[in-house]
Amino acid sequence: MNVERLPNERKLAICRKYFMAGFALLPFMWAVNAIWFLKEAFWATPYPEQKQIRKYVIVSGIGAIVWLVGLISWVIIFQQNRSNWGATADYLSFIIPKGIP
Amino acid sequence: MDGHVNIDRDEKTLSVEESGSRSGKKRRRSQNQDVSASQPPTQSSRPEGESARPDALDTESAYNNSQTRDPATQGVVRRHPRGGGGGGGGGDAGARGESEGRDGHVSASTRGNVQDARRMMQPQSEWEELEEEEEELKYGAQHVIKLFIPVSLCMLVVVATVSSVRFYTQKGIYLLYTPFHETSPSFGDRFFDAVRNSLILLGVVVVLTVLLIILYKKRCYKIIHGWLLMSSLLLLFFFTIMYMQELLRGYNIGMDWITVSICVWNFGVMRMVSIHWHGPLPLQQAYLIFIASLMSLMFIKYLPEYTLWMVLAVISLWDLVAVLCPKGPLRILVETAQERNEPIFPALIYSSNFMYSTLGMANPDDDSRSQGREMAQEGTSNSGSAASGAEGTQRPRDNPQRRRNAENGHVVADDAGFTDDWRGQLDKRTRQRREQVNNFAQQNPSNVDYPQAHPRDLTAEEDDERGVKLGLGDFIFYSVLVGKASSYGDWNTTLACFIAILIGLCLTLIMLAIFKKALPALPISITFGLIFYFSTSLLVVPFTEKLASQQVYI
Repeated sequence: MNVERLPNERKLAICRKYFMAGFALLPFMWAVNAIWFLKEAFWATPYPEQKQIRKYVIVSGIGAIVWLVGLISWVIIFQQNRSNWGATADYLSFIIPKGIP
Repeated sequence: MDGHVNIDRDEKTLSVEESGSRSGKKRRRSQNQDVSASQPPTQSSRPEGESARPDALDTESAYNNSQTRDPATQGVVRRHPRGGGGGGGGGDAGARGESEGRDGHVSASTRGNVQDARRMMQPQSEWEELEEEEEELKYGAQHVIKLFIPVSLCMLVVVATVSSVRFYTQKGIYLLYTPFHETSPSFGDRFFDAVRNSLILLGVVVVLTVLLIILYKKRCYKIIHGWLLMSSLLLLFFFTIMYMQELLRGYNIGMDWITVSICVWNFGVMRMVSIHWHGPLPLQQAYLIFIASLMSLMFIKYLPEYTLWMVLAVISLWDLVAVLCPKGPLRILVETAQERNEPIFPALIYSSNFMYSTLGMANPDDDSRSQGREMAQEGTSNSGSAASGAEGTQRPRDNPQRRRNAENGHVVADDAGFTDDWRGQLDKRTRQRREQVNNFAQQNPSNVDYPQAHPRDLTAEEDDERGVKLGLGDFIFYSVLVGKASSYGDWNTTLACFIAILIGLCLTLIMLAIFKKALPALPISITFGLIFYFSTSLLVVPFTEKLASQQVYI
């Protein structure tokens, strides 16, 4: 949908809903929120709701980046130490690769 | 899944149904709810109930194709409005209101403007018709290109997966709907098995389609909507997990539960939101392509060899019949939706432009009409609310065709491909545009000399909102054909099928522009694909191999 065509209140409502929903372990939603409303928040002609949209976009963006960093570090830790952890790692694993680690 | 437009385009195409058939995603033309037009909204999209129609796949695709053709009626053929807008905008917007309305929409063409000036003398109806034709053909090419990309992407994903992950080519488990497993060595037996299997599947599709139509006619929107949601949910999560598992296993990468569950959760929720609610369009398109590829992979895996080819042929025939016959289920669906001026279900149609999917399934006509009127007169942006104006809002039609491939082998095929009466929509659109242009011109008499800017502004919204819609069912079956061809390991055949399908798609869209009726998207492409596949694999490949082995270059 083309967000530019919507009235401003609606834009704000959508932005806020995405933001709230992102708290349910949904960093992807935050990322989408940030990217989608980025143009609206910073480079569109100013309108009253823009400040709030900007705030949501910034917080969503930061939240998404934090999640991304956390997830990547967890994956790295897991991949490195999977064989060392033994049984615990097996319980955590979704797929256990074949071959010698 | 076939070509339901609307977006749809979206889920129209075959969606795997958990419990029942999901309407296929066909391209449906979103019905434009022209305020001014008395015609029923151009909701070509089929109601989600279509999922009930297994056949929907074929029809959906058909519809989608046809839908895309109707620029006027549904968003699919936006061409007209745009072209008209441009032309109309330019000159006597006031004078020619009508013609300009049409032209005005097409901001793209300055040609329109020039033409307007020259055509001032022509009787409006003639001129309009000519303009329409030109616009259609001119923008038809654009829409064709816009459709090529997603179709190619979908095929690419399927081919890549089939080549790299061997899970999808291993036989062993079959769907419940195909009890004949083609295990005997004789060709005749296997062929007979294939025929029986495909008839069973066709029966399932027909039953589901009819069920969908009954539900739709009885206005059981909640049931349809719930069904669509549920099947979409099941399909999404279940197949995504299976796909990820096989992909990781194929590449021998370890992964832990936490990461996988977070990723799948995010992916799934985002998809639900972007398709059933609001989301950025590229994301929606990407999800639809992904889902279509998933479904194709399921089909490739779970259908025995000959059955798959037979099923393709049979479904194309069904699509043809269901869309074009006066009593065909898909046609009934489209017409009913048009009469009621309701949008078709979103989520099963792929739309190349912004389509508005109304939030509710049964939006009151008044809302859309009033909105449309508003749009016409003020040219304001469409609000995201449910009743989008006639021009802009096209609800993706979901001709849900869902084939559910599950471990237990339940496959429900929905029909996709619900196309609305293109012509009706065209008229509505043009009328609306004219209104818009007229209104605009009246408001700005001094701007008559610079028509381009204004009509463009007016129609910009609509332009964006119109686009080509293709049902997901079409995507799925195209990808099934190409994926199966590539699973034999020969690139010549794969490429030949790919080209054949694209040619078929072009032809279908051209026919859509000429006939201005809902047309099935599947038959031509699948026919070409099958012909090319069999001729290439049986004739061309041995020929080239022989030549290469003897080092003869021709």
